Amino acid sequence: MTFRQFAYRNVVRNRRIYAAFFMASVFSVMVFFLYSMLLYHPSIEDRFIQDIAFMGMGVAEIILYIFTVFFLFYSMRAFLQARSKEFGILLHLGMAKRQLNRLIFIETMFIGVASIAAGTFLGYMFSKFFFMIVREIVLLPALPLYFSWQPFALTIGAFMSLFVIISYVAPVFIRTGKVADLIQGDTGKQTGYDYSKSRGYLGLLFLGLSYAMAASTTNSIVIGLLFLLPPFATIGTYYFFTDSLPLLLHKIRGRKNLYWRDLWMLSISEGVVRLRENARMFFIVTIVSTVAFMSVGILASLTSFASQYREMHPLGLEYRSNWENGHEQKHIAQLEDELNTHEIDYTLVQFQILQQTSSFTDNTVEIVKLSNVNKLALSFGHPAVKLKEGEAIFLPPTVSWYKQLRDRSVTTLLKDSGVRVRINGAYPYHLFSAYSIGMNAVILNDVDYDKVLESESTRNLYSFMYYAFNVPEWERTRDIGLSIDASITESLLSETGDKLYYSFKNPGLNYSVLRTTFSLLLFIGLLLAAVLFLAAGSFIYFRLYTSLEQDRKQFDVLRRMGITDREFKKIVNRQLIPQFFFPWGVALVHSSFAFLSLQVIWDELAEISIVKELIFVLVGFTCMQILYFYLIRWRYLAHIKASE
Amino acid sequence: MTRNAIVELTEVTKIYEGKVMYRALNRLDFEVEEGEFVAVMGPSGSGKTTLLNLVSTIDVPTYGRLMINGIEPEVLKQNELALFRRRNLGFVFQDINLLRMLTVEENLVLPLTLDGLPVKEMEKRVTELANQLNLKHILDRRPDELSGGQAQRTAIGRALIHKPKIILADEPTGNLDSKSAKDVLELLSQINRTERTTVIMVTHDPIAASYCDRVLFIKDGEFFNEIYKDERRQTFFQRILNVLSLLGGNVNDLSSVRLP
Repeated sequence: MTFRQFAYRNVVRNRRIYAAFFMASVFSVMVFFLYSMLLYHPSIEDRFIQDIAFMGMGVAEIILYIFTVFFLFYSMRAFLQARSKEFGILLHLGMAKRQLNRLIFIETMFIGVASIAAGTFLGYMFSKFFFMIVREIVLLPALPLYFSWQPFALTIGAFMSLFVIISYVAPVFIRTGKVADLIQGDTGKQTGYDYSKSRGYLGLLFLGLSYAMAASTTNSIVIGLLFLLPPFATIGTYYFFTDSLPLLLHKIRGRKNLYWRDLWMLSISEGVVRLRENARMFFIVTIVSTVAFMSVGILASLTSFASQYREMHPLGLEYRSNWENGHEQKHIAQLEDELNTHEIDYTLVQFQILQQTSSFTDNTVEIVKLSNVNKLALSFGHPAVKLKEGEAIFLPPTVSWYKQLRDRSVTTLLKDSGVRVRINGAYPYHLFSAYSIGMNAVILNDVDYDKVLESESTRNLYSFMYYAFNVPEWERTRDIGLSIDASITESLLSETGDKLYYSFKNPGLNYSVLRTTFSLLLFIGLLLAAVLFLAAGSFIYFRLYTSLEQDRKQFDVLRRMGITDREFKKIVNRQLIPQFFFPWGVALVHSSFAFLSLQVIWDELAEISIVKELIFVLVGFTCMQILYFYLIRWRYLAHIKASE
Repeated sequence: MTRNAIVELTEVTKIYEGKVMYRALNRLDFEVEEGEFVAVMGPSGSGKTTLLNLVSTIDVPTYGRLMINGIEPEVLKQNELALFRRRNLGFVFQDINLLRMLTVEENLVLPLTLDGLPVKEMEKRVTELANQLNLKHILDRRPDELSGGQAQRTAIGRALIHKPKIILADEPTGNLDSKSAKDVLELLSQINRTERTTVIMVTHDPIAASYCDRVLFIKDGEFFNEIYKDERRQTFFQRILNVLSLLGGNVNDLSSVRLP
């Protein structure tokens, strides 16, 4: 048996230990590879999409890489500590320290090479599937599978260097003390049970303060809080796990009628030990999970923003033209022509919007003709509204305004034309995009409208034309009016100062860009969160694995003492559930409060609520976590009982 | 015989099947009477631990019949078996096996918490035991802060607290110095006398065995010899040594002989 064979057999025959580690590595290599495949895809030509994809994937890859570094370091250390007895024997048999280092180097490289190979292979296998999902999201015609050296080189290069570094550094983790200590094993030593009371209370105080601040956010201080809260909450979380929790558990230990109850004694005391060993890991998992929750929640809410876009923009196309505009007829003809050639059904209603000054508020009022509105409403399938002479209703600028204007009744004189009207209630249907007509719009009956229009000869009123295209298949208007859109962008960019006398809105186009961007980011975020999630679970598994020997012995004692299988399962549950769900629970609370304060900003941005998305995301994550919990519990129980 | 057997093995055979089939016990007949203090001796690999595991009910015989306290463990379900162990058996191990995260007091009380006794009752029993076993001043310590003797006394306390019918001890003095070993053995025989608790002890150590009423010798899983104690421990010890030399075990097994 050569030295290399020895190393190889060590790994292969220890495969049960290495399985979780290997799986997590393979998965992260695979995701990294998938990102790189998209990063270098030749047929993404759309500049904008490409930019977003490139940036998103690039950032995701960097995060993934950094995370993998931590992950590998941590798990490597856990393994080597678990095997310290074995290393002790090897040193005892006369292996030189240098040879031991080489052994570990070779072993780590075996795993590294294997997981890179498997990850890249699986990644290539799944890339067609991955492309299909991306294509579905991005609405690209097709993303063919391609073969190029770049993604392979990036993935293999990145991870190979990583594994080499880890392999070199790993032997440091073996305490180079006496051989006898190594043979005794890592489990013999016992970390202290000490904790600092003051830091414990400080942690609780910090967390409480952060929560209170997050919950009471107002618009004016939200920006300040954005910088203040994260470090505050982070420190609070750290102290919470290292000091506050032991403090609380110690309090419970003091109360015998609580603590000396069925299995609680075993569970809690074990919990304290685990907490001591794993406080830092819990802290990391909590912070990582919080960030994952947050990013996915934000992205999901952005996606929902896109899906509510239609409600905010009921019209397919909107064109608004001031009277100075010379291109009006040409543009409208062009739009109609393009719609016809694309065979898209539409209803065009032309509005002449008049502006008057109201005597009631002294503000400008936009006046819309009732018959025009009814015509447009008819194309949406809404019934017509009737108004008598002298009557008018408010046209709410947004949906939420409707509630405020519904019960309002005002009598006003339109100063410029001398028409007196009574405005009573608001128009119930949502036909226009927000603020597209104006802040103070009123629908006037036809008779009075004509009176105002006639007085236009006085010329001190101002008016504009508004063309509303109702397009039922609004998502197909992506390619309509591109040249008008381009000319607007051009004149905005050129800044020559010549005023633009028209505006054009194509919600279909905007929507497709928005949707694509958000969905892509969401997809990237979810994949990333999945990797973090898998790794966090693996941390717990490694930890369990390192203490397996000790746990087995303990299980043996308990079994002789007469613990039933069900009771043992209960004990394991009470040990594992906190480990799995406590960091997540804290992360959940953290992110809920964070969203609470973010909701303030959200309300400003758009009138949408993210509660639904948030619940969806959190429930999804929790389900995954439960599944993972059962998987690991199953493995753990099997390992423990295997000792029989 | 008027006294009734609390543990009764009839032609018990235990075969471990695996890649290498191994017959650990072969048609062993053996009885322990209520209130008896019995030692089981034999060279390494003679089946002592297997015998103890069978009586512990964590293993079942391949053939033959095993009765403990009038019950055949084989017919009990997994759960009933656990409850049976919990109420009838107490264990003392060579490597002591206190739960490292519990204090002495908590280790003592552990078997009782499983049965959900009221806290007052538990505290009462702990105080009693602590007085009896001289553990009072170390109740708040953790296992890693104890000497070997203190730890083993704690373990014996844990085995006793639920007042079991039988105590099963697996090399209880194996890891102790001679002074602590003597304390532990005297403690065990005192409990055996005062509480009428049956004790079955597996040991290598002839001195430990000399504290018992009877010593059973097994070799290669079969009955080899059996001797009863006499008036003086010194002569009993000598007779044990004689049987051991007949047994022809490894030299190692005798090396731990320390004359009192």
